[in-house]
Order: sequence, then structure tokens, then C-alpha cells
Amino acid sequence: MKLIETEILVIGAGPAGSSTAKHAALNGAEVILMDKKSEIGAPKRCAEGVSKEGLSKLGIEPNSRWVTKELSGVRLISPNGTDVWMKEDQVKLPEAGYILERKVFDKFMAMEAARAGATIMIKTLARGMRKDNNGYIVSCESMGEDLEIKAKIVVGADGPESRVGRWGGLKTAAKPKNMESGIQFEMVGVEMDDPDCIEFYFGSVAPGGYAWIFPKGDDIANVGLGIISTYTDKTAYEHLLEFVKNCPATKNAQPVELNIGGDPVGGMIKNLVKDHIMIVGDAAGHVNPLTGGGIITALEAGMYAGEVAAAAVKDEDYSEKRLMEYQEKCKNEIGNSFDKYLKTKDYMLSLSDSDLDSIAKAFQNTEFENISTKELIKLLIKVSPKALLKLGKLF
Amino acid sequence: MIVKEWCMYCGECAGVCPRCLIEVRETSLNFNEEGCKDCRICVQVCPVKALAKEE
Ligand SMILES: Cc1cc2nc3c(=O)[nH]c(=O)nc-3n(C[C@H](O)[C@H](O)[C@H](O)COP(=O)(O)OP(=O)(O)OC[C@H]3O[C@@H](n4cnc5c(N)ncnc54)[C@H](O)[C@@H]3O)c2cc1C
Ligand code: SF4
Ligand code: SF4
Repeated sequence: MKLIETEILVIGAGPAGSSTAKHAALNGAEVILMDKKSEIGAPKRCAEGVSKEGLSKLGIEPNSRWVTKELSGVRLISPNGTDVWMKEDQVKLPEAGYILERKVFDKFMAMEAARAGATIMIKTLARGMRKDNNGYIVSCESMGEDLEIKAKIVVGADGPESRVGRWGGLKTAAKPKNMESGIQFEMVGVEMDDPDCIEFYFGSVAPGGYAWIFPKGDDIANVGLGIISTYTDKTAYEHLLEFVKNCPATKNAQPVELNIGGDPVGGMIKNLVKDHIMIVGDAAGHVNPLTGGGIITALEAGMYAGEVAAAAVKDEDYSEKRLMEYQEKCKNEIGNSFDKYLKTKDYMLSLSDSDLDSIAKAFQNTEFENISTKELIKLLIKVSPKALLKLGKLF
Repeated sequence: MIVKEWCMYCGECAGVCPRCLIEVRETSLNFNEEGCKDCRICVQVCPVKALAKEE
């Protein structure tokens, strides 16, 4: 059987894998980036929203090839239709952002990895791995051919499936209560009150999660929701059909695409490294437990993973102890805030539809200055005594 | 395990299988039926109900 050797093998070419591969290659390592798909980025499993702040923090310049829409506000809608508008011309919205075209964005990120020096293998599936004296040998299948790749460090960037980490002994399986089932139509003929604003719908419309309408320009939008299967007897698809039928903005809209996917919202996995192995992105729980957003954190964690992996190669030290630098960085920069968001999510899930309606009413009568996820939670604490009790000490 | 024709190979079922038995290929699913403990967590989370257990 064909055997290929490399210093670093990154399994999965989503944002996490491409970022890892790019930064490892930029730091001088020999890198292979592989994905089982025939087209990186497709099919999309995402509502495609990112914050401007997040991209700019990572030094990624917005590009007209993958930005479909620049947003200028947010509309929050409670179960009885009470809505709260937050627009950039009235309040500061540091997290306002863009709607991407993930099919182009993900490919663009993989191209950046290739330009940095990584070798890309598409349509290559990792099937398992075994320990070798100084690394792992990963069994793969590429276009009907079995092959093996021997690497000093294997990076599991394999998304919500997260099997690579488990092959290496890390505990990455998500509990059903921590796996949001996401489903979405891309629709045409969507009639939004303001097509420059993203919309979030809360309450029993999406048990355990929320519904969204993210505009993509003209009358096109991603219309979707995330649910937690332990909170409902219906499937995510059934909830989506109901939402689309009842929401005034989508009553006359038509779907042109159906997207589904799991979103691990249980917070960051405790152990991200072992000897010769690292996990990153969705595979590592790098998803904001409150919003379900994981693109920016996947890119950010990928940057840390790539840098640490390349440094470990230089030091010829692939031990868990050496790779812990990555885990510590993730904990400080990502994990600690996720712990707070996890608690906020638990509190939000304890609210009834009428609680949410009262909070929305109280928000309507409040003056905003600066709105971010954190500021919104602070506001929630102000208007809800129950929230003060549960979250007051955290924010 | 019966995989319905409308499965979209999203991998959510594989992410929750406590025994890591589900291999998601680009257009097919492989189950390691031997290790299956019949917990049906994979069936429960599928967003489009594309899995059914053989009775
Ligand atoms: C419905 C939905 C809506 C979402 N909306 C948003 C949003 O608006 N904003 C946001 O920030 N986040 C959103 N997310 C989350 C976001 O999509 C993920 O956090 C992000 O894609 C994580 O990137 P990743 O690189 O870790 O994983 P992925 O993007 O899932 O990439 C993993 C890659 O690994 C490959 N792979 C898996 N197994 C193997 C294998 N064995 N061999 C080879 N290749 C393999 C896959 O083919 C895939 O390409 C959403 C998620 C869902 C499900
Ligand atoms: S969760 Fe459902 S749609 Fe997704 S791969 Fe599994 S069976 Fe297929
Ligand atoms: S029934 Fe349980 S053990 Fe069997 S494949 Fe599904 S999740 Fe895995």
C-alpha cells in the first residue's frame, strides 16, 4: 500500500483545518490538509454569519468574492411577535458583521493554506489510525485507492463528527443535549422588514435553540433554526416547515437549497491534546454555546494549533506536554468565555414563552448604547431579577 | 441500521454515537453494526429522520 510521510496531517478542510494548515505551513512545517469532500465548502452546513470584529482580529480582509451581505443591525423577536430593533445608526454594534458565501469562503481559506505551502488532498477520507513509534499512521481512502499517511502530529479538524480525536483517545463524543440539530432553507422571495438586519426568533418556535433569518442580498436569505432533540418530539425539519409557514417574512418565499448539520454547543472539550494529536474547531467544541457560531473560533483556534504544532516539529517534541501550550491558549482565549455563555444558555432555556415576551417588552423600553452579546446579557440581568440571580456574578 | 434515501450525510449522528461506530462518507454511511448497543441516540438526533433501526 502507498505510504506518504509528513510532519503534520490535518484531517478536515473546514475553517479550522485550513487555518491550522496555513499557520503550520507559514511557520515552516511540512503539512498535508485532507478532506473527504470532492468540493471544499460544499454542501454548506451554516447560516454564514460572522462578525466584522472577529475577522479583523484574525487579520482577514473581507473579500467581495465571499461576502454576500454587509449587515447594519439586529432584530430580536419574542414568541408573541414583540420585536427589538438594534441598528447601527442608533447604537454601536461591534459584533455586526457579514453574511458569507461559505462555499466560496471555505475554498478561499484552503487556497490560503495551499499558498502558505500546505499540500491539499481532496476526496480523501480518513478511516482510522494506529500509533507508530514516533507519530500516527492514518488509513485513508482516496478515489478508490487505499493509502496510509504517517505523521508526527495529526490534527483532528473533522467538524461535529469528531472521530479523529476519539481514535486518538480523546473524549469528543457529544451528548444529545449538547448537539444542536441545525436545519435551514436558502430561500428566495423573502420579505424582510429591513433586509440589512439579521433576525432571531426565540421560544417554542425552536425548542432548545432559536430560529433565524440571515439576509444574503435582494430577496434571498438563509432561513433556519437549531433545536435540541431532547427538548422536542418533532424533527428539526418539521419545526422548520412550521416556522416558514407561519413567519410573515417567508410566507411567499421558495426554498432553493436545504442545509442540515449538527452544531456541538456543549462548550470546549476538556482535553484537546495527547501525544502526537490535537483537535480543533467543532471537533474540539469551539462553538459559542449561546449563539452556535463557530466560524471565527474555528479560524482562531486553527491559528493557535498551527503555530504550536509547527513549533513542536521544530523542537522535535510531539508530547502532550509540549502540545498543552495550544490547549492553554484555547482555554484562555476561547474556553473561559464559553463557560459563561453556557450558563447563560442554560438560563435562557429555562424561560417560558411568556417570560421571553416580558423580557422583549422590557428591552423595547430600554435605551441602548453599545450592543454586543455580552452587553445584551448585561441588559437581560438589568431587566430580569431571575437573570440577576443566575448570571449576576458572571457578567 | 436502515439509512433512508434522503440522508444528507451531515454527520450529526456520527458525532453523538457514544461508540464511534458511524463512518460518514461523501454519499453513504457505514455502520459498524457489530458494536451497536441499540441506544438509538443517532436515530433521535437526525434532523430529517433519515435513520431507522431494523426491528
Ligand atoms: C445549521 C448551522 C448553522 C450555522 N450557522 C453559523 C453561523 O451563522 N455563524 C457561525 O459562525 N457558525 C455557524 N455554524 C457553525 C459553523 O458552521 C461551524 O462551527 C464551522 O463550520 C466549524 O468549522 P470546522 O472547520 O471546525 O468544521 P467543518 O466546517 O464541519 O469542517 C470539517 C471538515 O472535515 C471533513 N471531514 C470530516 N471527517 C473527515 C474524515 N474522516 N476524513 C476527511 N475529511 C473529513 C468534512 O468533510 C468537513 O469539510 C452553523 C452550524 C450549523 C449546523
Ligand atoms: S444525521 Fe441523519 S442526515 Fe445526517 S448523516 Fe446521520 S442519518 Fe444522514
Ligand atoms: S444505536 Fe447507538 S450505538 Fe448504535 S450506531 Fe446508533 S448511536 Fe451508535
